[in-house]
Amino acid sequence: MNRHTVSVALLWLALTALGELLVLRVGLFPVAAADEAVMVDRAFRVLMVLGVPVFAFVVATLGYSVLRFRSRGQPTEDGPPVHIHRPWVVFWFAWTTALTLVVIIHPGFTGLREIRSHAARPVDLTVQVQGGRWFWMVTYPEQRVTTVKELVLPVGRHVRFDVTATDVLHSFWIPAFRMKIDAVPGMVTTVSATPTQTGSFAEDAQFRLQCAELCGLNHADMTVPVRVVTESEFQAWVAAQARQTRTVGAR
Amino acid sequence: MGALRELRWIGRGLLFAALGFLLGAAGARGVAGLTGRSEVAQIVVTLGYVGALLGWLLGVGLWDVWVREWVGLPARSLQTQGWSRFFRFNTDHKVIGVQYLVTFVALLLLAGLLAVIMRVELATPGRDLLSARDFNTTMSLHGIIMIAVAVATIIGGFANFAVPLLIGAEDVAFPRVNALSYWIIPPVAVLLILTPFFGGFDTGWTAYPPLSVVNATGGLLFLLAFLTFGLSSILGGLNFITTIVKLRAPGMTWSRLPIFVWSILAAAIISLTATQFVAYGLLMVILDRVVGTGFFDAARGGNALLYEHVFWFYSHPAVYIMILPAFGIWLEVLTHFSRKPLFAYKLVVGAFLSIVVISYLVWAHHLFTSGMQNFLHLPFMVVTELISIPTGIVFLAALGTIWRGRLWLTTPMLFALALVFNFLIGGLTGIFLADVATDIQLQDTYFVVAHFHYTIMGGEIFAIFAGIYYWFPKITGRMFNERLGRLHFWWMFILYQITFIPMFWVGIQGMNRRVADYAPNLGGANQFISIATFLLGASFLVFVVNMVYSWLRGPVAGANPWRARTLDWQTSSPPPVENFQVPPHVVGYPYDYGVPGSVHAVVGVAGGAVTQEEAAGR
Ligand SMILES: [Cu+2]
Ligand SMILES: [Cu+2]
Repeated sequence: MNRHTVSVALLWLALTALGELLVLRVGLFPVAAADEAVMVDRAFRVLMVLGVPVFAFVVATLGYSVLRFRSRGQPTEDGPPVHIHRPWVVFWFAWTTALTLVVIIHPGFTGLREIRSHAARPVDLTVQVQGGRWFWMVTYPEQRVTTVKELVLPVGRHVRFDVTATDVLHSFWIPAFRMKIDAVPGMVTTVSATPTQTGSFAEDAQFRLQCAELCGLNHADMTVPVRVVTESEFQAWVAAQARQTRTVGAR
Repeated sequence: MGALRELRWIGRGLLFAALGFLLGAAGARGVAGLTGRSEVAQIVVTLGYVGALLGWLLGVGLWDVWVREWVGLPARSLQTQGWSRFFRFNTDHKVIGVQYLVTFVALLLLAGLLAVIMRVELATPGRDLLSARDFNTTMSLHGIIMIAVAVATIIGGFANFAVPLLIGAEDVAFPRVNALSYWIIPPVAVLLILTPFFGGFDTGWTAYPPLSVVNATGGLLFLLAFLTFGLSSILGGLNFITTIVKLRAPGMTWSRLPIFVWSILAAAIISLTATQFVAYGLLMVILDRVVGTGFFDAARGGNALLYEHVFWFYSHPAVYIMILPAFGIWLEVLTHFSRKPLFAYKLVVGAFLSIVVISYLVWAHHLFTSGMQNFLHLPFMVVTELISIPTGIVFLAALGTIWRGRLWLTTPMLFALALVFNFLIGGLTGIFLADVATDIQLQDTYFVVAHFHYTIMGGEIFAIFAGIYYWFPKITGRMFNERLGRLHFWWMFILYQITFIPMFWVGIQGMNRRVADYAPNLGGANQFISIATFLLGASFLVFVVNMVYSWLRGPVAGANPWRARTLDWQTSSPPPVENFQVPPHVVGYPYDYGVPGSVHAVVGVAGGAVTQEEAAGR
């Protein structure tokens, strides 16, 4: 271990400590209003924690080299003719491979399995979602309610969305739930979410159903407010909607 | 008048293009009549364009240097000296390299300007400057032009200029094909610039159907442009593979090949073998538009998801067409300016080749939220993340090379060092998009925008600048202004970070990409990003001033101002038409800095063969 290596090692440790502190302390995420959102954010944080030492290592080596090994003006001599340094290569290869495998297993495989098994639980409510240029039509088949104005969901219920599109590709995305699936013409795609807290678009823009796949002219405006309410509020809303539909029908 | 006469080949190209268009369009009327279809305009545009493209190529020089031979006439050479050689069908790889470079740097500036326009609109929530249609067109044009710049500037520009020099060859294997692949580019640029006058196009560069089938005629122009550009890419790939395999100077064994040449070989393999896939995808979209085949129309038994697979089967490998040559420039510059051998050369070559293979097996990581089969998620996540291992080797080589070197912090070296930093961020954030769980949220958000600007702009565009400053003295024979070069570097590097780091944050905060408008709570962040973008854009003015002034007025550079050891620096600046007065002989490894008595090549100069050390002393 020469003095350069030791210096970089210390620099690396310091940067890593600082980076990890930032990752664990700084709140990076918007409101996480569903079980799935918590899972996604957790995976994100694991990747940050794993990425910081790698970032710190390269930055420490790069920064140290630039400051320490730079020559004033054109160098008059060559550097040491090192073509390869076997222990370092083995060290590097072993660590990058190990880290890659870790990331693949956790949060890669575990995160995927967590979301899948969560989606496989019994469904409490099914909502059909149809994307078209430029609106979202949501249908609650069991409640016989259809609306284009808002998406209302009961808190704590496992909701499955059956998504499709009428014209071009769209994408069903609710940022507060961290869940997204494309709406494809001629196909029904599904995604599910279990809201964990009440909230609405009026309070927080993360509660919105947003089209996330470029669909032409008014793509940016293809949003519908989302409102997560208590079970009783939901039932009241359904009843009101059904009444409205009947009056419209009777007229 | 004299100047105009020098441009007559371009004039003839335009004339033939017009005739070709009329012929094609007339044919199209006939076809349209036969089929009785209503989309006559689409057929007319398509066949008219095919006619115009052929007319243009024939007029600009294909007829003289190529077709005349087929009909038994002697071919005419259009080679000349002087400035006009850059404006004709010239087969000298150095001229073609400069043609590519200047064309694509101009396109880079144009696409940068489009980014600035976009950021004006995005500076505040709500609609300000652009209509929704104009925003979509601006965004889509910015995307496709930058993609073209990233794909073609290094391969078309630097590889054309430097690869034959680096391997000690007189030219590329197929000089006429080489010229053809350049002269295909102007029609591509013209088509793209015309799109706003035909209703624009609103699909982004990805052109997903059904939208790309049903949008305005501008969308068709874009599809034709992309398809044509692909043809140029395929021809370029073919040419470089053949050149590198067949035309290496005596003694230039595979283990003595400069790393930039390896990177070009790797990229050329992808160019040649992957581009067809996107061409098929685009052709099927064009057929859906023009003759109503319905490949991607669910109502007629088609499937929109199919396109996404075909498209990314090319477009992920295409990322490596962009980034592998950037790695090449990156390592080349780091080595020469550290005055140390390239660290772990053979492992880097292995890494390049394994990236080529793996790049074919990861495309569906763009489809995690597309609704494709669930069982595909895990394998594509695994293979994508495996790419970290060979990429890690490239980082190892970069860090191992500069470690304890004699770092000469010239402008190209600063850009090369910055690449290490930028691509580190690009690579690490890529893992968040390879991971299925996090990608479900991040897909189609500004996190993706920030990520690929860190890889493509931070990795590739910075490499283009490293390459421009590195080879500028060789290409022009003059030295650029080092102070302005450094000013450009620091200005661009710092503003680049300030512009793109916040994009990760707005992405996490739920701002989706390709939108003209966003939630009001992100107004502050977006205003910040917009202002940073304008300042970043201004840094390019420094670059342009430096280039123009130095090309005209810069001090004479000499053959080897960097005292680099590769063959490109062992001939005059700019090199003579035949590159080397006497074909060089390679006798050793190119990167043996610090190895006593080492020699890479014996280069002939007038009056007999000398070693390169002696030649440098003259
Ligand atoms: Cu949409
Ligand atoms: Cu990809």
